[in-house]
Amino acid sequence: MNLKERWQEFKTGLRPRIAEWRFMLKRLRKSYLAMTGIAIILFFVGVAILAPVLAPPHGDPMMIPKDYDIETLRTQEPTPPTIRHIFGTIDSQYDLYYACIWGTITAFRIGLLVVVVSLVIGLLVGILAAFYGGLLDEALMRFTDIIIAFPGLILAMALVLAFPTTVPLSVSNVLLAVSIISMLILLAFKPDRRLLLVNMLVLIFSVVSVLYSPIVFDLALQRLDKVLIAITIVGWPGYARLIRGEVLRVKNEDYIEASRASGSTDSRIIMKHILPNSIYPVLIVATLDIGSIVLTAAALSFIGIGAPDGYADWGQVISKAQLWMNGPGEIIKNFHTFFIPGLFIALFVVGWNLLGDALRDVLDPQLRRR
Amino acid sequence: MTSMLQLRDLKKHYPILGGVFKRRVASVRAVDGVSLDVEKGECFGLVGESGCGKTTLGKTVLRLLRPDAGSIFFDVPRDLVREIDELRQKNPRSRRLRRLREQYDVATYRGRDLQLLRRKMQIVYQDPTTSLDPRMLVKDVIGEPLVAQGIAKGEEAKKLVMEILERVGMSDRALFRFPHEFSGGQRQRIAIARALVSRPDFVILDEPTSAVDVSVRAQLLNLFTDLQKEFGLTYMFISHDLSIVECISHRVAIMYLGKIVEYSSTDEIFHNPLHPYSQALIASVPIPDPTRRKERAPLSGEVPSPVNPPLGCRFHPRCPLAMDICKKKEPELLDAGKEHYVACFAVIQPSGS
Amino acid sequence: MAQRNIVEVQDLEVKFYTYSGVVEALDGVNIFIKEGEILGLVGETGCGKSVTSLSIMKLVPPPGRIEGGRIILSGGPKRQDILTMGDDSIRLMRGKDISMIFQEPRAYLNPVYTVENQISEVMYVHRKNELLEKSITSLQKKLMEKRKPRSEEQRAKFEKQKAELEKRKGAEEHKAKLGEPEADLEEKAAGIPSNYEIRIYKRMLRARSRTSRLIAGFFSRFIRKRQLTAEARKEVVRILKSVEIPDPERVAGMYPHELSGGMAQRVVIAMALTCNPTLLIADEPTTNLDVTVQAQILNLIRMLKKNIGSSILYITHDLGVVAQSCDRVAVMYAGNVIETADVFETFSSPLHPYTRALLESIPRPGEPFKSIPGMVPSLINPLKGCRFHDRCSYAMEVCQNVKPAFMEVKKGHYVSCHLYGGSK
Repeated sequence: MNLKERWQEFKTGLRPRIAEWRFMLKRLRKSYLAMTGIAIILFFVGVAILAPVLAPPHGDPMMIPKDYDIETLRTQEPTPPTIRHIFGTIDSQYDLYYACIWGTITAFRIGLLVVVVSLVIGLLVGILAAFYGGLLDEALMRFTDIIIAFPGLILAMALVLAFPTTVPLSVSNVLLAVSIISMLILLAFKPDRRLLLVNMLVLIFSVVSVLYSPIVFDLALQRLDKVLIAITIVGWPGYARLIRGEVLRVKNEDYIEASRASGSTDSRIIMKHILPNSIYPVLIVATLDIGSIVLTAAALSFIGIGAPDGYADWGQVISKAQLWMNGPGEIIKNFHTFFIPGLFIALFVVGWNLLGDALRDVLDPQLRRR
Repeated sequence: MTSMLQLRDLKKHYPILGGVFKRRVASVRAVDGVSLDVEKGECFGLVGESGCGKTTLGKTVLRLLRPDAGSIFFDVPRDLVREIDELRQKNPRSRRLRRLREQYDVATYRGRDLQLLRRKMQIVYQDPTTSLDPRMLVKDVIGEPLVAQGIAKGEEAKKLVMEILERVGMSDRALFRFPHEFSGGQRQRIAIARALVSRPDFVILDEPTSAVDVSVRAQLLNLFTDLQKEFGLTYMFISHDLSIVECISHRVAIMYLGKIVEYSSTDEIFHNPLHPYSQALIASVPIPDPTRRKERAPLSGEVPSPVNPPLGCRFHPRCPLAMDICKKKEPELLDAGKEHYVACFAVIQPSGS
Repeated sequence: MAQRNIVEVQDLEVKFYTYSGVVEALDGVNIFIKEGEILGLVGETGCGKSVTSLSIMKLVPPPGRIEGGRIILSGGPKRQDILTMGDDSIRLMRGKDISMIFQEPRAYLNPVYTVENQISEVMYVHRKNELLEKSITSLQKKLMEKRKPRSEEQRAKFEKQKAELEKRKGAEEHKAKLGEPEADLEEKAAGIPSNYEIRIYKRMLRARSRTSRLIAGFFSRFIRKRQLTAEARKEVVRILKSVEIPDPERVAGMYPHELSGGMAQRVVIAMALTCNPTLLIADEPTTNLDVTVQAQILNLIRMLKKNIGSSILYITHDLGVVAQSCDRVAVMYAGNVIETADVFETFSSPLHPYTRALLESIPRPGEPFKSIPGMVPSLINPLKGCRFHDRCSYAMEVCQNVKPAFMEVKKGHYVSCHLYGGSK
């Protein structure tokens, strides 16, 4: 079959799925809340993409520029909005407008990175636990429970403080870690002997190299990375539990057994049958989480553990604002320093929440229709 | 006729876990010692009420469940099976027996051997709504066995899928649709197409018409008979609907609480049932003739739980012919003449009569 | 020997307003059920049998709406069109005059309540006063038993009081007055004892207005209504015995998941018959049961019809069941009743082509399976004229344009088909 025919076939295969999507979009369009949520998110996406245009950077884009003129004139106090600084300035004469615009990129970065990574980890743990059951399920779930037992925000704080700024990494250490993990996964999947043998060899090799020839290089955890890693570690158990519940439900459906009767291997069943049928609720929660994770990061920045000084992050900016809340007069005078970035955060979170709700409304009755 | 499937003393128990350490406190004895022979090209009906273990038996034969004891011989020459039977009786520990079993007994298969088996044995489920993945297109649903077993890919697979789709009476346009866009009867046809695409020799039909409308039922049943003739299939037709089984099967077995109580040709079973349970079962079927009404229900009481089946003959608490021996010993399936096998002391005395 | 009609459904129209369009579920359905008979309602999936039964109880779920027709119930001496009745009046009828049993019994039993709880719930809703009266008199009797007469004179007085109590127990006017304060004084004068529990019960009986009922109910929560529950329990056991459940005392304390399918269905039947309804609607009650249990339940239903005298609307798609248990048969197709006749008539001389095709499709050994060509039509844009004409082997020109009227062709045998002069 030549390329043209293959393309034709692909398009025909897509048609029913497109019809489905179109049906879903029609329902989405009917809901005002959903459209509002989508509009908000699109607005933020636009801001993020057009950031270099809207607020041209000087030097390092992610660091907010200071206005040295005013700083030398009147030192630290924040100034209300003027033509020169559209949103005003905050403590140490950082331009608020710049901070908010480039903060959008930070927000997306935090939200998406954390959610995607913790989703992947959570899915892996949850699916393996639910599909294989037994001892693996017990072990993984107890491990998950341990992490959930810690209060999330506080654990994140502790992790951020505990992570060294530079992590000494070596290729052999990484290799060791990777081979141990893949060994565990392979044991769970029960494959044929060859794969197991190869993994065993890699494992031995990495142990040897760790003992004898370390090739070390330092991985510097920059800026927000510590915060991201901390929130990821705290966040994945939620997804693991969620997907585990769904997989337990799907696992007993007839079509899974039918697929096994057709000769599918375990991995095929997981990838082609279990995953597509169980992931919708998790995706919905994930979209909601994007908003709330930005809030968590903002909270961490507010406390002071988070983005470094002068970084363009909404939470950072608000944390700086608290220095100037000395009395009622001050609060009103410096109202812009917390209100505007707060507005950005609130709008961002609301947008993702509405989107998540809309997705749930659209997808659930769809699922019910089946 | 050659034998397609031979079961010897097949057992499948589900453990009931209880207590703090989740130990096995009891077992649900779903299938508790079933032996039967299915001939090539015939439709073998398996009848029973809920809880008798017929669905479990079907799935165990297909190795979707691991049997706890017993043997399954699929497409094995008769003399070999006879040799294994003899060896088991005379010398159960012989090495030859073990080797023979490893080679021919499906119950011992695992891994690659099991994979190869899937090509030849297939199943059609009761409910077409749940047995088809709602997120897969019809062409993927039907093509899955081909891809999963490595029989064909791409263009070749597509050709096979279209062939079988046409054969079950559906148009090409179904290929690029989702299963939920079709009616129940059509979905069942898709399920049938999936079962037959790898050209199996043996198909287990697990109540394939129970979840479908009455008017569609006849169409599906006719399809089954046509396909059997055309592809030379052997069926095991599991059902609780006796009237359908009477019309489509060549031979019928009746199960009660995990054991087969009677089996023979369809004619014999329905016109001359020997076991009291079979008699009651057949008499309970409501006849669509208002001039023939029954005054009393033929069988009272309920099916006991398969966790603690009654000692001796499992049917004795409800049996009108129960004798003393029925409470102590379990009757064996013996030939009452004309290849009509019954397991009942009232019919065949233990000394043989 | 004209039996009167308990239920008359005339030209019932029900439409469902869904996302995909307007489903014309019922298009002028005509059914009548006589007193004390079992009417079998037969049809395939989607023909509207369940919707009809739900309409009779006015329980059609949204987006469905009853658009037209009349449903006349002749429970007592009155004939009422329930479609004109208010929600409250209909609610009082449900469970008492009309009750319903469903296909999957365990799905319709609350899994966290015992059998006894659920049956007594029905009793509390409809027969509370009766139970209260019984409790009061039993308690009074018990209290009197407790008093030990010491002297001869006291014994005589004691006997007189007991006699008085017996007399009052039976007397109708006393029962009627039991709720009135005057009755209390009378009883006190006669020396009949009373205690806190009796007083609460009397207050509950006496409560007429909603507020007084609420207050009485509120106070009744603080006492253990031992006698009331005991009376309810006795009644529950009696009802369970009447549906042939073995060991009813034990079953009363069981939870639904502990019951087998047949037992659960008997419990549901028991619940439905608690208040001796005039009409019992059975929506495929034996479809999910084993064939031996089905035979038992069918027998039970026949026996109950004889003992209690309820009329039964038996919905099924199994012609064998119909032949074995029904007195008359109504056949539905695509939202219309197309034939109604006595059961013997229906099986020996079916008139409508669909009925004939249904009877022919019953599997017979040795013959190939016969089916009805085509598919059940979608009710969103139904065909004009007779809805069966595209699958009918006798279809004529007029069938495509004009819907045939439901007419009495032979005595007691109604058909809706142009072959028998269905055009008005």
